[in-house]
Amino acid sequence: MHRIEVDAEIDLFEVNKRLAAENREFLKKNGVTAINIMGATGSGKTLLIEKTADTLSDGVRMGAILGDVVGKADYERVARHGVKAEAINTGKECHLDAHLIHHAIEKFDDVDLLFMENVGNLICPVDFDLGEDYRVVIVSVTEGDDVVEKHPEIFRLADVIIINKVALADAVEADVDKMISDARRLNARAKVIKMDLKNNTGFDEWIEWLQEVIGGMC
Amino acid sequence: MSFAQTIVENVLRLAEEKKAKKVRGVVIELGELLLINPEQLEFCFQVASHGTIAEGAELELKFTKPVIECLMCGKKYSEPIAICECGGIIKVEGGKDMLIRRVEMEV
Repeated sequence: MHRIEVDAEIDLFEVNKRLAAENREFLKKNGVTAINIMGATGSGKTLLIEKTADTLSDGVRMGAILGDVVGKADYERVARHGVKAEAINTGKECHLDAHLIHHAIEKFDDVDLLFMENVGNLICPVDFDLGEDYRVVIVSVTEGDDVVEKHPEIFRLADVIIINKVALADAVEADVDKMISDARRLNARAKVIKMDLKNNTGFDEWIEWLQEVIGGMC
Repeated sequence: MSFAQTIVENVLRLAEEKKAKKVRGVVIELGELLLINPEQLEFCFQVASHGTIAEGAELELKFTKPVIECLMCGKKYSEPIAICECGGIIKVEGGKDMLIRRVEMEV
């Protein structure tokens, strides 16, 4: 037995990168605008999709892939709104990846807009490109007003940053302006929306952005 | 943990190709922006390699820095920021890759 040293260049993200590129190509070919929705558990990801489904005109065909650790709770919530939906259980994996999406997207070749609701956390989904066109991060003031500065990477790569539940800011002593300025400091490019989904604050701004990006893709 | 599993899978595949009997060491190059805690990765590697020929292999981690510079004035930064002092937009490149660079084994 003797020792050898083998030089290598094995890219550990290679498989994910390749599948994400294939997903992106499939979506583009079928005219689908795909949006990866990321945020902590309870931040409002599913409600955002539900309300969007109720608001967008019938002319927009919408689909949603819902990633959850176990169960179909989010899938059932969204499907009730007449949205074509698919549940993905990630089990112990804390994020969606391009491989999981790869299996799921085939049935969404006839939609205009596809939401990919990620697993609820602000860390693991960051490094896994799904083949989406846009990344949306939603946080709520109840997560603490330091949540943005504590998770720089996810906000740095977002296209839209939503600060949700602003109506509760006083009750939980959260400084919404601080959250917004943290978001802008990390990412000057992103659109930042102050929102309260329960009373529709900021919701129009979100729908306007969506219509812009769907329109742009058509 | 999934990173550690991917490392072990790829190392074992390479070891099999080379008909190795034991893996002694693995050199990983990883971007700082992945924000990986080296101690955790080492621990997960031990768990993931348990019972394989890579068990007990030494994991060497080499962190690579992203290139962060202003598109307007060219000033370089060590941490990602959104806007340069001059008001220019910052470009952040790299710092997010993870590669197996070298594997030491016994054949």
